[in-house]
Amino acid sequence: MEFRVLIFSFVALMLAVTSCTKEVKIDIPGYEKQVVVDGSIRVGEPPIILLSSSQNIYSPTDITSYLNGFISNAVITVSDGTYSAQLIQVCTDNLPPGTEALAEAIFGLSIQELQQLPNPLCVYTTFDTQLFGQVGKTYSLTIQHEGKTYTSTTKIEDPKGLDYLQWKPEANNSSIGYLYGFMSDNASTSDNFMWDMKKIGDPLFTKPFGPFFNDAFFNGLAFEFTLYNPMSFQDSTYSENERGFFKQNDTVVLRLSKLGKKEYQFFDKKYNQIYSSGSPFATPINVPSNIEGGALGVWVGYSSWSDTVVCQP
Amino acid sequence: MLGFSFMAQDKHTISGYITDSRSGEALSSAKIFVPSLEKGTVTNTYGFFSLTLPGGIYDVEVRCTGFSTQRKNFDLRKADANYSVELKPFEGEKVTREIVINGKKSENVNSTKLGQIELDIDQIKRLPAFMGEVDVIKTIQLLPGVSSVSEGGQGFYVRGGGPDQNLVMLDEGVVYNAAHLFGFFSVFNSDAVKNVNLIKGGMPANYGGRLSSVLEVNMNEGNNKHLSVKGGIGAISSRLTVEGPLKKDRGSFILSGRRTYIDVLAKAFIPDTSPFAGSGYYFYDMNAKLNYKFGEKDRVFLSGYYGKDVFTFSDREGGFSADMPWGNGIAALRWNHLFSNKLFMNLTSTFSDYKFKFGSKQDEFKIEFLSGIRDYGTKVDFSYYPNDKHRIKWGANYIYHVFTPSSVSAAQDTIVFNTGNAQKLFSHEEALYVLDEFDASEKLRINAGLRYTAFQHVGPFTRYMKGDISKPDTTLTYGSGDLIKFYHGLEPRVSFRWLVGAHSSIKGGYAYNYQFVHLTSLSAVSLPTDIWYPTTDIAKPQKGFQASLGYFQNFFDDRYEASVEVYYKGMNNVVEFKEGALPGDNVNDNTDNLMVFGKGWAYGVEFFFKKSVGKFTGWIGYTWAKTERRFPDLNNGETFPAKYDRRHDLSVVGTYMLSDRWTLSSSFIYATGNTLTLPTSWYVQDQALLFNYGARNSTRMAPYHRLDVSATWFDKAYKTKTDPTTGKEIQVKKRLRNNLAISVYNVYNRANPFFLYVDNDGDFLNGDFKLTVKQVSLFPIIPSVTWNFEF
Repeated sequence: MEFRVLIFSFVALMLAVTSCTKEVKIDIPGYEKQVVVDGSIRVGEPPIILLSSSQNIYSPTDITSYLNGFISNAVITVSDGTYSAQLIQVCTDNLPPGTEALAEAIFGLSIQELQQLPNPLCVYTTFDTQLFGQVGKTYSLTIQHEGKTYTSTTKIEDPKGLDYLQWKPEANNSSIGYLYGFMSDNASTSDNFMWDMKKIGDPLFTKPFGPFFNDAFFNGLAFEFTLYNPMSFQDSTYSENERGFFKQNDTVVLRLSKLGKKEYQFFDKKYNQIYSSGSPFATPINVPSNIEGGALGVWVGYSSWSDTVVCQP
Repeated sequence: MLGFSFMAQDKHTISGYITDSRSGEALSSAKIFVPSLEKGTVTNTYGFFSLTLPGGIYDVEVRCTGFSTQRKNFDLRKADANYSVELKPFEGEKVTREIVINGKKSENVNSTKLGQIELDIDQIKRLPAFMGEVDVIKTIQLLPGVSSVSEGGQGFYVRGGGPDQNLVMLDEGVVYNAAHLFGFFSVFNSDAVKNVNLIKGGMPANYGGRLSSVLEVNMNEGNNKHLSVKGGIGAISSRLTVEGPLKKDRGSFILSGRRTYIDVLAKAFIPDTSPFAGSGYYFYDMNAKLNYKFGEKDRVFLSGYYGKDVFTFSDREGGFSADMPWGNGIAALRWNHLFSNKLFMNLTSTFSDYKFKFGSKQDEFKIEFLSGIRDYGTKVDFSYYPNDKHRIKWGANYIYHVFTPSSVSAAQDTIVFNTGNAQKLFSHEEALYVLDEFDASEKLRINAGLRYTAFQHVGPFTRYMKGDISKPDTTLTYGSGDLIKFYHGLEPRVSFRWLVGAHSSIKGGYAYNYQFVHLTSLSAVSLPTDIWYPTTDIAKPQKGFQASLGYFQNFFDDRYEASVEVYYKGMNNVVEFKEGALPGDNVNDNTDNLMVFGKGWAYGVEFFFKKSVGKFTGWIGYTWAKTERRFPDLNNGETFPAKYDRRHDLSVVGTYMLSDRWTLSSSFIYATGNTLTLPTSWYVQDQALLFNYGARNSTRMAPYHRLDVSATWFDKAYKTKTDPTTGKEIQVKKRLRNNLAISVYNVYNRANPFFLYVDNDGDFLNGDFKLTVKQVSLFPIIPSVTWNFEF
């Protein structure tokens, strides 16, 4: 796929030399309001569903319009096949103690910002531990909203870990270096992964550029690969030359999550759309939802393997 | 003028070759005419003609564009006659350029050619050139029924057909990618081209393999009289051509080359210390041709083309480097043999190769991608002229295709990643045809033909059978030479001309075609990365028909030509990629598993008005058309407009010979904007903004219009000298001739849409988040100067 990246850069170079860009108002017919599901369940954690609606491309894009897009009157049920329960709404104006960081992660806003919103934001979840994610279980999701029903299922796969993870200093600067992981892939299974990372003590994981991948290219192989530091790009303590590297004595947690094929296809196309948006060479890609009934979005189960590494030679 | 005619039962044949007296090159489409009988014929591509007449004594005229008409009296009462003639150009540059056409003017009405246009390279060279580069493809896009996607889109579209539905040939070798620099220039170097023939409807049976059109580009043969050199130095490229005799009047050669120097110019702006030093782009191409007469009956031609675009990118700091070359290699060996003065044969062997390659390196990680197509072909064509009423052709064609739609290799240090097997597909394509162009009556001429085509997809081949989410994939492997799928069918072709009066006719035609190669694109615009893919057990052959009807009228002693043509085209098994398919999806998979198949149709009416003679020449072409597609698996199965659907397309082209020294020309085009798919809504998932696209091609860009102008200054053709013997001043033709072509592209600086996209900017929390539709335009007003020389 990288050759497309190169073509984009080539065209960007050409366009920079020859082209001009201007805003135009053009008729884009065919808008249809749809429900958007952003749901996930992890091992040992409750299901979390965020429900919103899609907006017309020319609709107002101020924060009020954005927040008004969230749906708070749906009836949502999750089942593991033998046990099911209706989810409750947990809102930003009434967060249970200890869930502030989780709320920040879900909405992308600081807890202060969340508390200042004119209308609270809500997620659908449960405190019923029987519905906390377990490896090997398939979870069904049913959403009822404005007379329509949307359904989906996702399975929490067996987790897959690395053989080792270690830090190696750069040859010309021993204070920084990359992490090197070694993976032995199982040839008999098709595996789909997501990786993210955080510094020890941080509440949130940070996703790298292109966090989702599958084993189509390395099925059955055992190999070492390089991991860069995705947190360094947001961390002002890293200088320009240190971006992408881990500093010596950093302690970081790598999380490698497995997910199903349909769910992977959602994220694969999602990131493709994000990275190719605006390119004339990109085909218009609608991100394929695994929600039945005409909704957008995804319902995904993750099984996670994690490892903590201290960056020392 | 009217010679004495002696009627007799016997018939005799006059035949021969018509050539240019300056260079010895064959003149195609020269007209051989017998005024007393009002009968005639035209030369074929190789300058050969054969005309069988009742025994008698005749004056025979030979006419050709820009050449003095030749007349000769023949006695055909007892024997056949050979009439090979070298036509002399009109004396003096002034006359040559004033009297542009006299040989073909009545062909507009008389021939059965429907939807066919021939252009001499001299005509093309008189039009405004983009950045000084005269371009064959850009010129044919000024004709009704032919359009480009946009600036920067490669290929061209004929009567609603896709770019893969055009058979583009250079000296009979297939050109799979006729574009340099994403379509900004074509691969045809104007100094190496003799003429261009475009068939956009009523395709005769001797052509096949594509649904929409045939673009035949014939290379110059080279001067067999004397050595000559010509070239040009332009703003972004230069070219040089050398031609001369191998042996005077027996054989000749031509060698022509061209190269851009954008990379050289860019170097001046990228210092060696820059992390991007080493990045650049250039293209080059070379044409070469040899021909030799081994006698009166045999002539051999060897033609070759090799061209490449090369883009290199280097980011030293990031440790990233890449190179991306792509291009064509074409070779054609042809043998003309005259079995008799009525039977002409052309045997051709061709080789055609198109490759796109991408290689990159990021630290220790390397990846290489390759795709391409290679053809080995042989064809034989016979032309038989039994009498003055019939012109019969038959022949056979065979092509061995090797497709490499995708070959990827990747490695990290010594670890080689599994990128799937290199996909190679092998196939045989055959055709047999016969056609007869005959005069059913004085008014009715019919060209009827039948073509039989066959196609075999053969092994080795691995078919991936993809299971659904819950089932594993399986494969089916075929051995070398195993027949995987066989297709065959008949393609009837018929066209007619009915003379309504001396200067007008009605023409109609029907053609049915098979096409066994498909070009698939994952992009909104055509790219060198587009994949050629053969017909397989899954990808069925494209099938299509076109019916057209036209009225042709000449005015004022054939100085003005006009025509109106209506057409309807139907296409089956046209190909697109599935919704959301991505380039990496064909790893361990067949590309055709990612394809979907549907139907297409197009209809329209074309108006063409042309003035070919006089100081002012030019044409106006207007097309109203509609082109739609329907795929069960795309756009919810609903009909959608093709991306090159254009309701209105207008071209106005004019050239004015201001004086001996100056020629002015201009062209104006207006076209309805192209369609595209834009997002109708946005939504947020995991804090990422995503778009949801609406119906396919439901948005239309703003119309495209542009005016180009040019002025060409010619130096004096003659210089005055004193004759040493007589002491008188005489006019001597200059050895070195040169001209300066000044052109302005996009005179009124119109910002034409290249593509549109939805741009998001700002931050929700800051209250400045904004979604806007942006239009990107490519070329503003661009003046250029090119100096051309010849000696």
